[in-house]
Amino acid sequence: MSVEKGTLDGKVIIITGGGTGLGRSMAFRLAEEGADIVVAARRLPPLEETAAGVRERGGKALVVPTDVTDTAQVNSLIEKTLAEMGKIDVLINNAGIVRGERPKFMWEISEQDWRIGIDVNLSSAFYCSRAVSKYFADRKGGNIIMVASGEGFRGQRNSFMYNTAKAGVVNLTRVMALTLAEYNIRVNCIVPGFVDTYEYQPEEYQKVMAERRATRKLFVPVGHTGKPDDIGYVAVFLCSDASDYVTAGCFISDGGGLAGGFATTGYAPVVSLKEGLA
Amino acid sequence: MTAKAFLLKGKVALVAGDSKLWTKPVAAALAGAYADIAIAAKSSPKLTEAVEAVREETGRKAIAIPTDVTNPTQVQGAVHQVIAEYGRIDILVNAGDIHFFQPFVEIKSAEWDKVMDYNFNSALNFCRATGKQMLEQKNGRIINIVSGLAERGMANGSAYCVAMGGVLQLTRALALEWALQGITVNAIGTGWFTEPGNPIDERLARYIPVRRYGEPEEIGSLVVYLASDVTEFTTGQLMYVDGGLMAHA
Repeated sequence: MSVEKGTLDGKVIIITGGGTGLGRSMAFRLAEEGADIVVAARRLPPLEETAAGVRERGGKALVVPTDVTDTAQVNSLIEKTLAEMGKIDVLINNAGIVRGERPKFMWEISEQDWRIGIDVNLSSAFYCSRAVSKYFADRKGGNIIMVASGEGFRGQRNSFMYNTAKAGVVNLTRVMALTLAEYNIRVNCIVPGFVDTYEYQPEEYQKVMAERRATRKLFVPVGHTGKPDDIGYVAVFLCSDASDYVTAGCFISDGGGLAGGFATTGYAPVVSLKEGLA
Repeated sequence: MTAKAFLLKGKVALVAGDSKLWTKPVAAALAGAYADIAIAAKSSPKLTEAVEAVREETGRKAIAIPTDVTNPTQVQGAVHQVIAEYGRIDILVNAGDIHFFQPFVEIKSAEWDKVMDYNFNSALNFCRATGKQMLEQKNGRIINIVSGLAERGMANGSAYCVAMGGVLQLTRALALEWALQGITVNAIGTGWFTEPGNPIDERLARYIPVRRYGEPEEIGSLVVYLASDVTEFTTGQLMYVDGGLMAHA
């Protein structure tokens, strides 16, 4: 790889939920390729840390505290970015939550629970994409990257809003890609499997996730959960010119999870032909 | 009990392929919905047993056609025999399913070929031989029984996965090719089922959302449904009977 010139030199990339986990990894890996980064999430301290990391890597960084479920704040994120950075090349809709709290019984889920779950994980991606779409269309060029989850392709007990919203993200990707293709706007979707993203999260959340980790390994054919960089580099590919002809695609990085799932990981029967013949 | 709308009165069904699991319950289910039955599989006491069970339990006509299902000429002969006996073939169920799981690099060519022969070429041969008759009739139902491993990978399952994936793609391609000829081609996807002489693996049973293996008889009602007249708009599809297996991670 060339070290003189990054493949993303001068590109301005907005990452929602850019303070922690996957968002932070994307920010750093993109900055290392020369991109300037705008991070937008609710909590300021993690955003500042990410921005500092981007600057250390030689990129410009802008922090815009944003609740991505609030359309006014989303619109102002786009305006502020254009005012400060002069342009936008890529929007990465990374914001989302996997709540560490105990799942509720279906009959205990309130309308508010439902709306929050769908808003944060699905509607926010639509709001941000909508806010930037006119700008991208007028400019005859743009790149939107969605972040779904392997859960968007499968069911999971008690995971109502998350799995439903992520399935929505997958199909929203396709609808936007087809709709916006004529404006030279590409829309693709990154699909992480089980990735440990809790290192910057509150302690309580970390505890719950660490407990889940052992079970999760059972569903990952490579035998271990992923790390944020396993996703960060997918973002580098999708942000770069290397993917110019790629749109409406799902880019799955899940340790083989979605390729399997017919049996627990590690299950490898040995049956000879003699036994097998009817 | 089969709903009236799904009954197969006056229809002729050919259950084809070598399988420990599916032949007998599929034939019994079709006969239970009043279809007349022919079973083409290799000559064995199991074949005789399956045909006799149909006759005894349902009172329908049933003939056994001992066939090397991997041999196209013999398969053609078997189909001719069904037509000679019953005058037509309305339903073909490809039930071929032999199990073979080995590390990929240790599989001998002869073993690989055999898995392809019994799990894929058998379906291919019967689709070809029966398809001609169905095209003449301008009517037909083909149901291919596959495993969820047609869509998923599994360690040591290379040969099996490839063969099953082949049958699934054959299903989709033929569905389109014959869509205007009154022939529907669909697949039934299966998960983990109990097998005579094979103990249940509790770890796998816990992995299945309904927490148990299926009984082979449990695919019968979907076979009947897909074989019936009401499904003429359903083609090229894969439907699972798997206790929820394919829905979760």
